[in-house]
Amino acid sequence: MIDLLVLGAGLSGLVAALRAAEQGRRVKVIAKGMGAHHWNAGTIDVLGYLAGDEQPVEAPWTAMARLEDDHPYQLIERDAARAALTWFQTLTARCGLGYAGADGERNMLLPSPAGAWRPVFLAPAAQVGGAAGKDPMLIVGLEGMRDFYPHFIVRNLTAAGQPARAATLPWSVVSAARDRNSVQLAALLDEPAAQQRLLSALKLVAQPGERIGLPAILGLHRHTEVMAALQRELKCPVFEIPTLPPSVPGIRLTTALRHELERRGVRVEVGMEVIGFHAEGDAIQWVETATSARPLRHRAAAYLLATGGVLGGGFSSDPGGRFWETIFDLPLTVPQDRTQWFRPLFLDPQGQPAFRGGVSVDSSFQPVDADGRPVYANLWAAGGALAHADPILERSLEGIAIVTGVAAADAIVRERDFEGVRG
Amino acid sequence: MNKISTDILVIGGGSTGTGVAWDAALRGFRVVLVEKRDLTHGTTGRYHGLLHSGGRYVVKDPQSAIECIEENRILRRTHTHCIEDTSGFFVVTPEDEGDYPDRFRAACAKTGIPCEEIPLKEAFRREPLLNPRISRVFEVPDGSADSFLATHATVQGARQAGAQILVYHEVVGLLTEGGEGDRRVTGARVRDAVSGEETVIEAAMTINASGAWAGQIAATAGIPVRVIPGKGVMVAVNHRLVNTVINRCKMPADGDILVPVHTVAIIGTTDERVTDPELLPIEPWEVQLMLDEGDKLVPGMSKARILRAWAGVRPLYQEGYAGDSRDATRALALLDHQQRDGVSGFLTITGGKWTTFRLMAQTTMDKACAQLGVERACRTADTPVPGTEQGYYWLGHRLHEVEEHHLQGDLVCECELVTRAMIEQAAQNNPTVTLDDLRRDVRLGMGPCQGGFCTFRAAGILAEGGEGRGARDEEEAAVPSATSEWEVAYMQSPKHNIGANGARRSNRRFDNPNLLLRDFLQERWRGLTPVLWGRQLKQERLDELIYLSVMNVDHLPPDDDTSPLTEFWQFDTTPGATAHKEGDEL
Repeated sequence: MIDLLVLGAGLSGLVAALRAAEQGRRVKVIAKGMGAHHWNAGTIDVLGYLAGDEQPVEAPWTAMARLEDDHPYQLIERDAARAALTWFQTLTARCGLGYAGADGERNMLLPSPAGAWRPVFLAPAAQVGGAAGKDPMLIVGLEGMRDFYPHFIVRNLTAAGQPARAATLPWSVVSAARDRNSVQLAALLDEPAAQQRLLSALKLVAQPGERIGLPAILGLHRHTEVMAALQRELKCPVFEIPTLPPSVPGIRLTTALRHELERRGVRVEVGMEVIGFHAEGDAIQWVETATSARPLRHRAAAYLLATGGVLGGGFSSDPGGRFWETIFDLPLTVPQDRTQWFRPLFLDPQGQPAFRGGVSVDSSFQPVDADGRPVYANLWAAGGALAHADPILERSLEGIAIVTGVAAADAIVRERDFEGVRG
Repeated sequence: MNKISTDILVIGGGSTGTGVAWDAALRGFRVVLVEKRDLTHGTTGRYHGLLHSGGRYVVKDPQSAIECIEENRILRRTHTHCIEDTSGFFVVTPEDEGDYPDRFRAACAKTGIPCEEIPLKEAFRREPLLNPRISRVFEVPDGSADSFLATHATVQGARQAGAQILVYHEVVGLLTEGGEGDRRVTGARVRDAVSGEETVIEAAMTINASGAWAGQIAATAGIPVRVIPGKGVMVAVNHRLVNTVINRCKMPADGDILVPVHTVAIIGTTDERVTDPELLPIEPWEVQLMLDEGDKLVPGMSKARILRAWAGVRPLYQEGYAGDSRDATRALALLDHQQRDGVSGFLTITGGKWTTFRLMAQTTMDKACAQLGVERACRTADTPVPGTEQGYYWLGHRLHEVEEHHLQGDLVCECELVTRAMIEQAAQNNPTVTLDDLRRDVRLGMGPCQGGFCTFRAAGILAEGGEGRGARDEEEAAVPSATSEWEVAYMQSPKHNIGANGARRSNRRFDNPNLLLRDFLQERWRGLTPVLWGRQLKQERLDELIYLSVMNVDHLPPDDDTSPLTEFWQFDTTPGATAHKEGDEL
C-alpha cells in the first residue's frame, strides 16, 4: 500500500506529491484532468489584491495580516509560508525552469495580455524582464495572431506611464500554416530555423535601448535555449508576456513538475475520475475510479484532496441551489441558495460569494465538520478547494496552491510519524 | 440644431419599425428611421426565433393564425437567407388534454395551415430525443428565424430604396402643432446618444413602432397609449437537441416551444405582465419552469448545459384590457390617433409578433397613405431583401465556408465561427458602439463560452484598428467578392468577408477598448447569472481566471466607464440583487 494518494494534478497536488516524495513517502497522483495551470499566466501570484482595495498589494507577506482569520494563509506560520515559496524556487531551478521575484518581499508589476499591470510574486525568468520600469519596451506580435495584440497592450501600458511602442512581424516568420495556437507556435520555435527567422525579423524592428516583449511562445521544450539565443544575438533584454490560454508558461511548469515527479518514482495517472469511496469508522479505506475497462480501487494510508474548487472540478452545483464537494461530499461553506451566489456586477471588487466558499480545514489541513472535528482521520485538503478565500479574485491562486500543498504534505508526513511513535 | 425634413419618420429599430421603413421607402416616400440603441436592441433581438406557421394560435386566435401562415409564405420568399426551414411538430404528450389535438387539426384545415399527422415512428426517427410517451405528432411549416440578420437585411432593403437609418438616436419628444381638436404631430426632436447632439426631424407622418416603449413615446405628445408589456423568459441549451421546432399540442402556455436556432436550442416562454420594459429580472422559478416543461418535450433537457437566460417584452395591445398578458391578443394593433385622439400625422403600430412584421408594416403604411391622401401600393411582398439568393440558412453554412476557404486560423469566436474579417467589417460598416452590437451582427460571444475567449480578441482587434492584421493575399485573389461593396446581407458569411480583405477592409480604430471589453463581459454576465450552476458555472470560473488572473481587466486604466450606452448602470452590489440603472430612459 502507498503512503499518500493525491487526488488532483493541479499545482497544489503536484507540489504536495513532490514534497511528500522528497521526504521518502510512497506517493501516487490520480486526476481527472490537468489542473488550471494550462490556463493561467504561469506566474506565482501570492497575494495581489485585498478585497475592496483598488491598489495592488506591494508586500504580500505583510498584507496577509489583513486577511480574515480563517483565510488559508492564516493557518500557516508566515516563515513556513515563505520557506514553501523558497523551496518551490529551488525545485523549479533544479528542473531548469527558473522562477524569480523582486526581492523576496515585494510583488513585481508585470504586463498582462491586456496591458494591465499584474501584481506577481514569482515569475518565470522569461517574464521578469517585463517589470514596470523606465526602460522603454518594444512589444512585438505576429500579424493575425488571435491571442496577442501588441497595440492594445501598448495603449494601456503607455496610459499607465510605461514608455512602450508596438510592432508586428509577418505570421510566416514563425509558421507557414495559419491555424496555430500559442502552444503550437512555441513548439515551432523550438526549431533553430524558426528562431533564426524570428531573430532576423526582430533585428529589423528593434531600436537601441529597448527591451523586447514577445508573446509567451518562445520555445516549448527548449525554452531556456531559445531565450538565451535571442538575448545573446539581439544584445538586449527579451521578455515574454502571457497570452490568452492555452498557456505556454503554465504548460512548461506542469511538464517540469511532472518530470521531477517521474524522477522520484511518483506516478501521475490522468483520466481517472473518482466515482466512489469507502470509509470504515473515520478512516477512508479506498477510492474508486472510472476507467475504460472496469472500476479501479486505490488504497493509501493517507489521502490528499487537491481537486480544486469550481474550476478544478472539485465542486459541483445544481439549479436547486445545492453545492457539493464531488468526491467525499465534504461540508462546504457555500450558501445553499442560488440567489445568494452572485452579485449583479461581474467585476465586483468583492467578488462572487459562490467562489469564496469551500472546504473548511483545521490547522493540520484536515477537512472539518461544523463542530471543527476532522471528517476523516486520514484525509487532508489543499489548494483551490479551501474555504474562506477567492484565489482568483485575490490573485493568490498559485500562492495558496504551493503554500497549502507544502503545508498539507508536511502535516501528513508528521502525522504518520506520530502514529509510528504512538505505536 | 440640425434639421431634417422627410415624408415618413419611423420610431423604433426593431422588426416592425424597420419593416415600416422598408415598406415606406419601396412606396417611394422619403423615410428616416430612428432607434435609440442598436437595431434589434429591444424585443426583436430577444425572442426565441420561431417563424410561426400559425399552428400555435389556430384554436385560440384563428385571425392571428391566418396572418401567420400567409406571412410565413411571404417571408420565405423575401427573407429566405434569414430563415432555416426546420419544419415544426405539434406533439401530444400524456399531459395534454383530450380533444385539443382533433380541434387543432380541424382548425388548421379551416384556416389553411398545412398540417399532416405523421407516424410516430417517423417522428422519432427524425427527432430521437423526443419524449417516447408522445402519442401523436402533427407536422406544420414552422421555421427558425434569425431576427438579427433579418432586421439588418430589411434595413439594407430600405436603404437601397433611399431610407435613412439613424441608430443610437433617441426621441426626446414628439413635435406637435395646432390646438385642441386640430392637433397634429409634425415630427420629433431626437438626440444622438453618443454625441448628445440634437436634431429636429420634420415629417408629414410619424410612425411610432417602438414596441413596449410606444406608450412613453406617445406620452410626449400627451397621447395615452397603454401597451400591455408581457415579459417572456427564454433559456438557451448548449446543444441543438432537436432539428425541428417542437410545440406542445395544447392551448398556448408557458415553456411549450422548443426552437432550434443556429447551434443551440431555445425553450420558451413565460408570459408575465410587467410594469417597466427596461427592468426584466429573471426569477429562479421562471428558469425552473422552462426546464421542467422542456423535460416533457425532451426528457433530460434540464440536465443539459444551460448557456443563458434572457427576457423579452411583448408589446401587446388591447384597448381597455385589464387581464393577464398571456390571454391578451397577439393580433397587430394599429392606433389611428386621428380617429382615436383627434391628433393627425401620427400612427402607433404595436402588438403582433415577429412573423407578421411585414404585414404590420403594410397595414400601417396603407393607413398612412390614406391619411396623406396618396395612393401607393405596397411592394414588400414581392420584393426580396438583399441576400436571399443565398437560399435558406442551414446549420453548416459557416463551417462549410470556413473549411472550404481554410479560415480556421482567422476564427476569433470558435463557438460561433466568427472570423476576424467579419468583426472588422461589421464594426466598420454597421454603427458600432459596444461589442454587444457586434454580437447582434455576427453572433460574437453567443456560444458555450459566452464570450470567454472572443471578448478579449474582439477588443484587441478593435483597439488595433487594422494594424497587426496581416495580409491574406492569396485568398483575396482566389475568392472573388460576391458584390462590389461589403453588404450587410452577407455579414454572417465567413466566405464573403474574405473578399472584403485588403483595400476595402476596415481600419476603424476604437479608442475605448477597455470599456468595450468590460461592458461586454458585464452584458454576458447578466444573462448567465440566472443559469449558472454545474458545468456552466465551471466555464464561468474559467472566464474569471482569464479576465481577472491573466488579464487583470478589473484594473485596466478606465476609459469612460460611465457611458450611458453600456451596461455599467448604477449597481446594487449585494448578492441576489437586480442590476438597476439610475434615472429614467425613454
